[in-house]
Amino acid sequence: MGSEMEPLLRAWSYFRRRKFQLCADLCTQMLEKSPYDQEPAPDLPVSQAAWILKARALTEMVYIDEIDVDQEGIAEMILDENAIAQVPRPGTSLKLPGTNQTGGPTQAVRPITQAGRPITGFLRPSTQSGRPGTMEQAIRTPRTAYTARPITSSSGRFVRLGTASMLTSPDGPFINLSRLNLTKYSQKPKLAKALFEYILHHENDVKMALDLASLSTEYSQYKDWWWKVQIGKCYYRLGMYREAEKQFKSALKQQEMVDTFLYLAKVYIILDQPVTALNLFKQGLDKFPGEVTLLCGIARIYEEMNNSSSAAEYYKEVLKQDNTHVEAIACIGSNHFYSDQPEVALRFYRRLLQMGVYNCQLFNNLGLCCFYAQQYDMTLTSFERALSLAENEEEAADVWYNLGHIAVGIGDTNLAHQCFRLALVHNNHHAEAYNNLAVLEMRKGHVEQARALLQTASSLAPHMYEPHFNFATVSDKIGDLQRSYVAAQKSEVAFPEHVDTQHLIKQLKQHFAML
Amino acid sequence: MSLFKARDWWSTVLGEKEEFDQGCLCLADVDNSGNGHDKIIVGSFMGYLRIFSPHSVKAGGGPQAEDLLLEVHLRDPVLQVEVGKFVSGTEMLHLAVLHSRKLCVYSVSGTLGNVEHGNQYQIKLMYEHHLQRTACNMTYGPFGGVKGRDLICIQSLDGMLMVFEQESYAFGRFLPGFLLPGPLAYSPRTDSFITVSSCRQVESYKYQVLAFATDADKKQEMEQQKLGSGKRLVVDWTLNIGEQALDICIFPLNQSASSVFVLGERNFFCLKDNGQIRFMKKLGYNPSCFLPYCSVSEGTINTLIGNHNHMLHIYQDVTLKWATQLPHVPVAVRVGCFHDLKGVIVTLSDDGHLQCSYLGTDPSLFQAPKVESRELNYDELDVELKELQKIIKDVKLQGVWPLTEQEDDLKVSASVSSTLDSVSQATNVEPGADSVPSITVKITLQNRVVLQKVKLSIYVQPPLQLTCDQFTFDFTVPDMTSSVAFSVYLKRNYTPSELEGNAVVSYSRPTDRNPDGIPRVVQCKFRLPLKLICLPGQPSKTASHKLTIDTNKSPVSLLGLFPDFANPSDDDQVNVMGFRLLGGARVTLLASRTSQRYRIQSEQFEDLWLITNELILRLQEHFEKQGTKDFSCSFSGCVPLQEYFELIDHHFELRINGKKLEELLSERAVQFRAIQRRLLTRFRDKTPAPLQHLDTLLDGTYKQVIALADAIEENQDRLLQSFSGLKSATHLLILLIRLWQRLSADQTAILEAAFLPLQEDTQELGWEETVDAAIAYLLKTCLSKSSKEQALNLSSQLNIPKDTSRLKKHITLLCDRLAKGGRLCVSTDAAAPQAMVVPGGCTPIPESDLEERSLDDSTELFTNHKHLMTEPPMPEVSARQGVLE
Repeated sequence: MGSEMEPLLRAWSYFRRRKFQLCADLCTQMLEKSPYDQEPAPDLPVSQAAWILKARALTEMVYIDEIDVDQEGIAEMILDENAIAQVPRPGTSLKLPGTNQTGGPTQAVRPITQAGRPITGFLRPSTQSGRPGTMEQAIRTPRTAYTARPITSSSGRFVRLGTASMLTSPDGPFINLSRLNLTKYSQKPKLAKALFEYILHHENDVKMALDLASLSTEYSQYKDWWWKVQIGKCYYRLGMYREAEKQFKSALKQQEMVDTFLYLAKVYIILDQPVTALNLFKQGLDKFPGEVTLLCGIARIYEEMNNSSSAAEYYKEVLKQDNTHVEAIACIGSNHFYSDQPEVALRFYRRLLQMGVYNCQLFNNLGLCCFYAQQYDMTLTSFERALSLAENEEEAADVWYNLGHIAVGIGDTNLAHQCFRLALVHNNHHAEAYNNLAVLEMRKGHVEQARALLQTASSLAPHMYEPHFNFATVSDKIGDLQRSYVAAQKSEVAFPEHVDTQHLIKQLKQHFAML
Repeated sequence: MSLFKARDWWSTVLGEKEEFDQGCLCLADVDNSGNGHDKIIVGSFMGYLRIFSPHSVKAGGGPQAEDLLLEVHLRDPVLQVEVGKFVSGTEMLHLAVLHSRKLCVYSVSGTLGNVEHGNQYQIKLMYEHHLQRTACNMTYGPFGGVKGRDLICIQSLDGMLMVFEQESYAFGRFLPGFLLPGPLAYSPRTDSFITVSSCRQVESYKYQVLAFATDADKKQEMEQQKLGSGKRLVVDWTLNIGEQALDICIFPLNQSASSVFVLGERNFFCLKDNGQIRFMKKLGYNPSCFLPYCSVSEGTINTLIGNHNHMLHIYQDVTLKWATQLPHVPVAVRVGCFHDLKGVIVTLSDDGHLQCSYLGTDPSLFQAPKVESRELNYDELDVELKELQKIIKDVKLQGVWPLTEQEDDLKVSASVSSTLDSVSQATNVEPGADSVPSITVKITLQNRVVLQKVKLSIYVQPPLQLTCDQFTFDFTVPDMTSSVAFSVYLKRNYTPSELEGNAVVSYSRPTDRNPDGIPRVVQCKFRLPLKLICLPGQPSKTASHKLTIDTNKSPVSLLGLFPDFANPSDDDQVNVMGFRLLGGARVTLLASRTSQRYRIQSEQFEDLWLITNELILRLQEHFEKQGTKDFSCSFSGCVPLQEYFELIDHHFELRINGKKLEELLSERAVQFRAIQRRLLTRFRDKTPAPLQHLDTLLDGTYKQVIALADAIEENQDRLLQSFSGLKSATHLLILLIRLWQRLSADQTAILEAAFLPLQEDTQELGWEETVDAAIAYLLKTCLSKSSKEQALNLSSQLNIPKDTSRLKKHITLLCDRLAKGGRLCVSTDAAAPQAMVVPGGCTPIPESDLEERSLDDSTELFTNHKHLMTEPPMPEVSARQGVLE
């Protein structure tokens, strides 16, 4: 063998190939030989380089793109001081999803989430969040499908990542933050940026990161847009949205970048100004035509504002730019499914399958599409696969629930009964299954059981109108007009355009008038 | 995620455990054969240099030996290989190999043999430069606009650009603000070097500027140069991209302009010659390498981007044109022309997989694994289905799972040791005058078959406490016996309502159809001795509460009945016996000398229960031993309802109190949050405003919240104690009613079910309303006087009542009706004249949060409900997005 490679060069190469652990180990060895402990000596450039390379490698190991990761915790919602109007005008807020202005499928066809939005085709963070009114309500209402606990704080995830990374260094943290002289580092732009990312992403010390960023931006005479974006990010994490907005805007003035647009839009969304966010995205699209992330952002906002047809249009635009975009395919697929085009939806889902998405949900959807597109031979096999792929009880419950629908569809009420029961076995809080079981009981004439089931369903999912309406109908049939009226009113609150409810209420009012 | 995979044209694996990086791959007609066929030149960090000339693979055969033209070991790690006109006086292509301390230029030549595998290739060293500094990467090109030859610029690891004019060293310059090397590229159009510095900027340096700047061989000199007014190295333009770059490529756009492509870690940039962004694209993955190449359509450029998810994306500007799957993560990608095939994509992975591929519509074959399913035999399936359907039907008819005789899968027995533990196991007991004894209970389990997940849990009434209440067993072989022992002691300062303990074993029994096992439960009860909570004490003559129990047999000596409580000091008093409960209360038991009566008296009503029960049990045991069969007890006096009601009131008062406290707490919590919010806005303000004693308020509210929480906890303790007393009294009441009315065991069970609901006593759903509902139900069904009463409707929801008068009225009524000869019976046909629908009567309702207890007044069952409101299904694909790595 000839001469060995320079360790720094090797570490640098490891870093480029994203072998961060190897890179960090190598840097550690180098630093042991020539320690660079907080105090950079000008004559030791190699150890300085190794030091910063290690910091970058450690950062990259835990780095996540913050643009997508966001879930509002209770504390943020309750102590929200940015709300401007309690009752915003329709179409200008995400908190009160407006009524369907564009003629998409109604609730009767497409189920809604607890927050009152039609369910979407793609599970992403904050899809299922809704803003509860009070702390008590927030604690009682489950906000994700999987746990009964609301998310306590938005920073939970970041904190976990930060602590997890501590485990990688048994001798304690690599850089002792409390001993850093921030002023000195802020004057070394070549070190400061990597150090900042290390502090923010790896150590999760937002305040310290903010200090470094503000010193650095001062040193650069406010001419470096990157520092402004970083300050904005820190402000955002600290919940100071207005300040974050200022920084992002100023950064955009200096240099327009896709990320800055995304960050600023994120601020607008959390400030509940979807229209501003939309305009910003469109402005970004003028600068960067065809940027997928911007298009996708627009589509998501439209979807949250219950404007599913516009959302679908933008998702199609996304596919024109990037036809392997899973989110777009899934959302368009579900949109087609709920607008009564199962055959078209089937094609989208099949595309996902071909692309290598292989999970329970996909097969479940394929099964449903096959059934509604009258391709009965594939239906049961799809569901069979979905069941075998179900990773947890909730998924299995959903699959059984949908199988129950198939059974109702082919008229096998016994099978339907058993399917819904199995759904309940897997997930005891499956309100839809309770409701459908009640309907089946009602058909058999077991009124009391049906009523008990309906009450359970409506207490589990007050946002669904079906249990309320069914309860009203049953009570009406047996002559319990008072309860029927109460339930019908609840149903009307949940779904104001439901014709049958309105009809029932009218009828009941006539009855009361006669008495 | 892609539909297609790259079609493999030719591939090979290089060496063993060799490492490769970005610069290690180069494609050129290095041997100057002149036919335009590219050769693949690969160098590795282990020092191997290989040259390939791939031929298309013939069917069935792997890569052939003659495809490898040359393999030499150069001893030093090869960092980069480039091909260019590096030798002066000729325009032939030569190979430049960069080692960390050396730059070598070789000429590659081949001698044709008679047959194809007779061809010979060799390299000849033309010249070499030894480097003062560790090299990192290099670029080449006609620097300064020279024609017909290529100059080489090497970037060292500490930031020096060294320019070599072929055989001679020209100059070296330090880059300002250097820390770690970035990619380096030369743009012939503007005659400048472009790199990405550690400040995350794209920087462009003119060759002219570099050449005329003061020569700096040492870094110190450069520092001085900064201070002095000499010719400084001035950057031509910079662009802040905010991230480190992986690679830079210069690509001529048309005659007059070129584009600079920068592959960042998260974005992909295309810059104009002057450093302005033409376009950028945010990448949703981690890129590993890229290569721009000319596009068919005018004004656009195609780019190949490989990523760490084994994918190769092809973009036309920013639009994704093709995505294809690769078998490895590429660290370098090139496009070449081999023999008759143009545009072959050559990729190299860092572990030495070299592949030539082309795009094709071969689907990336993802074979979904087969679902585990049995061989379909329709006859057998039919039989099985019928069998299962029958079981389901049976279950529906009976309402319960049929109990097949499998009870002896597991035998559970409990034995309570006859003596108290010599050393008490009690820990953490409440301070009291007496030392608390403990007793050992031993539970033995014996299995017949293999069982899974066997878990034993033991429950005793609070304030009795166990040293351990959960055990796990492993019955992996049949016929095993295992036993556990634990101790029971009294933890708190009051009496438990029962001395019975319950051991429950849950296990699952696997069957052939269900390997996970069917969950099953076995229980076993055991009775703790009275002496665990009771000591012999001085009998007292006076007491506020007295009970008299009649028997039909002559009195028995109390000393004989309670030998364990005999007081040795005064054995003459055979008819009186004193007990002292560990909590401190005294109970006295008197036996009449003449009549067949026993009297129990105490200061507390609820304390009577345990002694009375013990007395009756021991009497029964005594007479059974003697062989007397027709022994019976009776109670004649009126049932002591008044004392009982007092206990109910006490319990209810505590509940109301708890509710009030909770309301107060929630009020304070709201106030606390309001103050917090105010403070938050204050603190956030740019111009600090005075706090106006908000901090004092916050502090005060915090203290209030804590005090309230403490009060609630204390109240809960008292509630628990009071509930235990209430339970004792209830047991006593039931016992008295049983003795008084001589109720059968069935009727007592109904009474117990009504008075002692199994659920916990909580704030939301407490004992009072549950018992009230149950008694009201009894009063309306089996104890009703007329059918008119049955029509009464109940509120469907159980809420905490305003006061206890209704409950008291109902209890009194119940006693009255029983006294008048009412019979307790819940089967519908016997008592209720009308057919009625009892909720949950026919088939089990799945467990629901809100059990409806309403009785329906309508007898007509409506049969048809037309509106079938089915919930639409909810498809959702939860491919989590965002975090790819």
